[in-house]
Amino acid sequence: MKLRVLAVRISRLIACSLVVVGCQKKTDDKVHITYWEKWTGVEGEAMQATVDAFNRSQDRIEVEYLAVSSADRKTLVATAGGDPPDVAGLYTYNIYSFADDAALTPLDVFIQRDGYTVDAWLGRYYPVYADMCSYRGTVWALPSTPAVTGLHWNKALFREAGLDPERPPQTLRELDEFAEKLTKRDPKTGELLQIGFLPQEPGWWTWAFPLWFDGQLMDGDRITAQTPENEASFDWVQSYSRKYGLDAIKSFTSGFGNFSSPQSAFFSGKVAMVLQGVWLNNFIRQYAPGLEYGVTGWPATPRGVKDFTIADSDVLAIPRGSKHPDEAWEFIKYVSSTNPKAQRREDLTGMELLCYLQEKNSPLKEWSPFFEQHHPHPHIDLFRALAASPHAASIPKIGIWEEYRREITNVFEGVRLLQSTPSAALDYCQARVEGSWTWHTTNLARRAAHDPNPAAKTTRP
Amino acid sequence: MQPKTPFGRILVYVLLVAGSAVFLFPFIWLLVTSLKPIEQTMIMPPTWIPRAYTATVQGQRIEVTRDFLVERKSVLIVVDDGPQKGQRLLLPETDLDGQHGRARLQVFENGLQQAHDYPVTVVRVVEPGAWHVTERSDTKVRQHELGWDVVPEADIDAKASPRWDNYPKALATMGGRDLEEVEGSMAGRTSGISQDTHVGFVVFLTNTIIVCALGVLGAVLSNAVVAYGLAKVKWKGRDALFAMTLATMMVPFPVLMVPLYGVFKSLGLVGSLYPLWVPAFFGSAFNIFLMRQFFLTIPDELGEAARIDGCTEWGIFWRIILPLSRPVLAVVALFHFLSAWNDFMGPLLYLTRKHTFTLALALQNYQSQHGGVQWQYLMAASAVLIIPIIVLFFFTQKTFIKGIATTGIKG
Amino acid sequence: MTRRERQSFWNGIAFTAPWLIGLSVFTLYPVVASLYYSFCDYSVLQAPVWTGAENYTRLFRDDLFWLSLKNTLIFAALSIPFGTVVSLSLALLLNCEVKGTPLFRTIFYLPSIVPLVASSMLWLWIFNGSYGLLNFALNPILGLFGAKAPTWLTDPNWAKPALVMMGLWGVGNSMVIYLAGLQDVPKELYEAAEIDGATPWRQFWHVTLPMLSPVIYFNVIMGIIGSLQTFTQAFIMTGPDGPPARSTLFYALYLFTTAFYDLRMGYASAMAWILFIIIVILTVFATKWFEKRMHYGR
Repeated sequence: MKLRVLAVRISRLIACSLVVVGCQKKTDDKVHITYWEKWTGVEGEAMQATVDAFNRSQDRIEVEYLAVSSADRKTLVATAGGDPPDVAGLYTYNIYSFADDAALTPLDVFIQRDGYTVDAWLGRYYPVYADMCSYRGTVWALPSTPAVTGLHWNKALFREAGLDPERPPQTLRELDEFAEKLTKRDPKTGELLQIGFLPQEPGWWTWAFPLWFDGQLMDGDRITAQTPENEASFDWVQSYSRKYGLDAIKSFTSGFGNFSSPQSAFFSGKVAMVLQGVWLNNFIRQYAPGLEYGVTGWPATPRGVKDFTIADSDVLAIPRGSKHPDEAWEFIKYVSSTNPKAQRREDLTGMELLCYLQEKNSPLKEWSPFFEQHHPHPHIDLFRALAASPHAASIPKIGIWEEYRREITNVFEGVRLLQSTPSAALDYCQARVEGSWTWHTTNLARRAAHDPNPAAKTTRP
Repeated sequence: MQPKTPFGRILVYVLLVAGSAVFLFPFIWLLVTSLKPIEQTMIMPPTWIPRAYTATVQGQRIEVTRDFLVERKSVLIVVDDGPQKGQRLLLPETDLDGQHGRARLQVFENGLQQAHDYPVTVVRVVEPGAWHVTERSDTKVRQHELGWDVVPEADIDAKASPRWDNYPKALATMGGRDLEEVEGSMAGRTSGISQDTHVGFVVFLTNTIIVCALGVLGAVLSNAVVAYGLAKVKWKGRDALFAMTLATMMVPFPVLMVPLYGVFKSLGLVGSLYPLWVPAFFGSAFNIFLMRQFFLTIPDELGEAARIDGCTEWGIFWRIILPLSRPVLAVVALFHFLSAWNDFMGPLLYLTRKHTFTLALALQNYQSQHGGVQWQYLMAASAVLIIPIIVLFFFTQKTFIKGIATTGIKG
Repeated sequence: MTRRERQSFWNGIAFTAPWLIGLSVFTLYPVVASLYYSFCDYSVLQAPVWTGAENYTRLFRDDLFWLSLKNTLIFAALSIPFGTVVSLSLALLLNCEVKGTPLFRTIFYLPSIVPLVASSMLWLWIFNGSYGLLNFALNPILGLFGAKAPTWLTDPNWAKPALVMMGLWGVGNSMVIYLAGLQDVPKELYEAAEIDGATPWRQFWHVTLPMLSPVIYFNVIMGIIGSLQTFTQAFIMTGPDGPPARSTLFYALYLFTTAFYDLRMGYASAMAWILFIIIVILTVFATKWFEKRMHYGR
């Protein structure tokens, strides 16, 4: 490139940046609130569109949307430093540890001020979502990006294996049977060419297996990692490594691509059935158009839990010390609302607009006619039914969940890799988590004795 | 020491040159990478000169990327039927059934990768040693929109072509904006834009300069005054204070980190640039020590004479000692500038929003966002952080080296 | 106090006032507060609650604490000796009176003033397993022995050595200090040794090294203090959790994430004090070791 051209380009860039800096002075009299969110990509664009819709819907508040990497960590540090965003997009498990650290503003006050009882407000949601937002008797956050999970199966592979492509496994035993029929090996080398099911694909909900087997991770205030049901679930996980051979599985799985790529185990037909979330359809359309698949709930386990599913949600919360909590609430309220009479795409607002664009199920019980009938996800009714299921489960509500999950994942990995027995691994997990839990609860009790109601001191302008 | 023999002299030179090469190569690698187009950063063996390749693709002479060398005898075909109908493909000759005009193609069908035979037309045969080339484009990202061809090596023109525009591009996207948005090919959003969305290099540079300039000013003023009080004023408690000053140099930063954060939090200054330069105005043990050592070498008689003439203590400091201390002031100023420019942990602790970031933090943030894929931009941005320091060093080399040597010998 | 004494006392206070404030606000108060927090449950968002020695007793049962301590000590044990050898060798080379040494000195010194953030980016690229400069240089050599270069920062066994290598690139500071030390060694000593017929090797061993021992001592102490607090390179090049397989989870990294990601500031303060004590102990050991061998004569 010629020097002159370069000089022109550089000066243009500098000029641009200066203009931008100069533009930052806010000339309108709106209240500007900041919103940190982790999403980029499809989810991020949908959230931006929802923010835009909110900004257009009224003329008092302008939400400034900012995609921040590891937004939850940064929110916590900024809150500790006394300079938090007004609204933060968090993960479900953040609610409990952040609340224990007094880093969130309770939302009950706002709900009541708007003329609702907390029960009435939360009653609008499917119970699993309502439940995950309240903790120790207080509402700390509300859902923004909900999700449910189901068993996705590849119909073409079912047909090829001589199974009815329209009939997914109903029980755990069927899952195992179908999996065997759907598994192909190289007759000479014994190498795996295709497998019916693998517990570690994608392996994100390692803690879900105990719950699926009707076990529990918490019983009231007790850590219950070591229970017969939990052990049975990990026995089942281990059975796959024993049945198909650890080395064979290792070399087979090393060829899997990222879950959101054409080379993913499910899209490339290497694994016939996976437990995945409502979002998978977005990626199927993008990377494996034409993939013929169905979705159903998690198969029933020996103890007879039917319609089991793992529900999860990203949530919006107001960090403690937010400069504009009232305006932040207005935005959260908008995202939690819908237009129940929406007949056209343009009528969608708030939660339904967001979930429509993200192609996910709405966590609210009431769906508008348009949302119900024109939802872009072909299997949305199934996901709606799963979210409504009494066996929809979510993570236990404890402030040390991140550590608990890390330990449970260690159990999963140790068991799957045949390095330890489920019983020994769970014993270790039980001891570690129990120790941390005792310390955590002791600290909380001591803090409470010292400073009875930290949340009440939340600054309000 | 002087090598005695010519052999010794040669050996010393060989070692010096070899050592310099090892120390210089990373810098050269940095600059070379920062001037390459992206596809030339990811090739093995690496090239040392950024080049532009030109070749004839589908009848047009355009800039191309060299994708791979065709190693087996191959054929260029057009598919006549099946899911890939109409596409041009390059196949190994062995996959072609020439007699029947059919070829074995990999297709994605019902979620399965499968091989089937389809009718094809052979365009031409490609001998090994030709290059598969693709149209080079910064804007068209979709692979199938790009033209490609297979051409003999001799038909490719290669000329050295450093991509200087990597620099403005890296700086413009450093704040997290997309390149498309910067160049105007993508419309910028108008609603709900956060102050942090449009931050660019200029903001980071300004922040860094504020922290460096105010910090240097504070360090020079405060340390000189304090060191004077410890070196030239005789007062009760002076030695105790000096001993304490030396003792604090032992305390590792992590011990101070948490309470310091609390101090600035209670002052409401977390998230601003203040915590990064305000402390400089209150002296630092190391610099006080350095300056005191220097002041001790100035004879007391100078001060005494002035005192007899009725000069105040401040007057002595300001008019007599300070003018004599330029060398040590320069050392302190330089060291402080360098540490403020290079500081990462301070900004990481105190800054939460992009419009307050310094260059060092912005560079780390840039890298963590882009996951280290666009090495040419990352290297360009790093070079921008390094070059001012190197330029500064060349102008002040003597002061620098002397300052460092002093710390070691006298310490 | 006489009037004169009183006046100079107030003069002294006035001149050192900035530092008196700075010392108390930015050093003494934090030291005391940190010691107090180390005996508390403290999250910054709530007032500290006294818990006695609980943080310390828990630390000794914390696997990650021990792992991070081990990682840090291994890193120090690699980087201090290698750093000493490399910087001393370079200083010895530069001390040879040949033409062009200022240029070479500049080249060797430059990397040490490069911002650590920028050099971390650069080395991240150099260590890249597929396209990095280092493996491009190494693989042909290792190929002769049928070996293959590791992927450095993504290999649990090689991530620490990689960071040590990167540190060697920045030894310019101690090299300059050694060089100054070498130039202070009286020429007569070498002349006398030569008359006695000592070989260059014996001259180095019996003249240079003893005369240089105070400088080596200084650099080793600085090395201990610096390497035990290694943070930036690891934070940027591998990440706050110290991957791969926590092999680069250094002490300062674990301390930082405990304090600012988990908001366990009391626990982190206890870690900081243990670090302080470790530094003091190592410094005392180094001092004892050098005292026996140190040569103060000039």
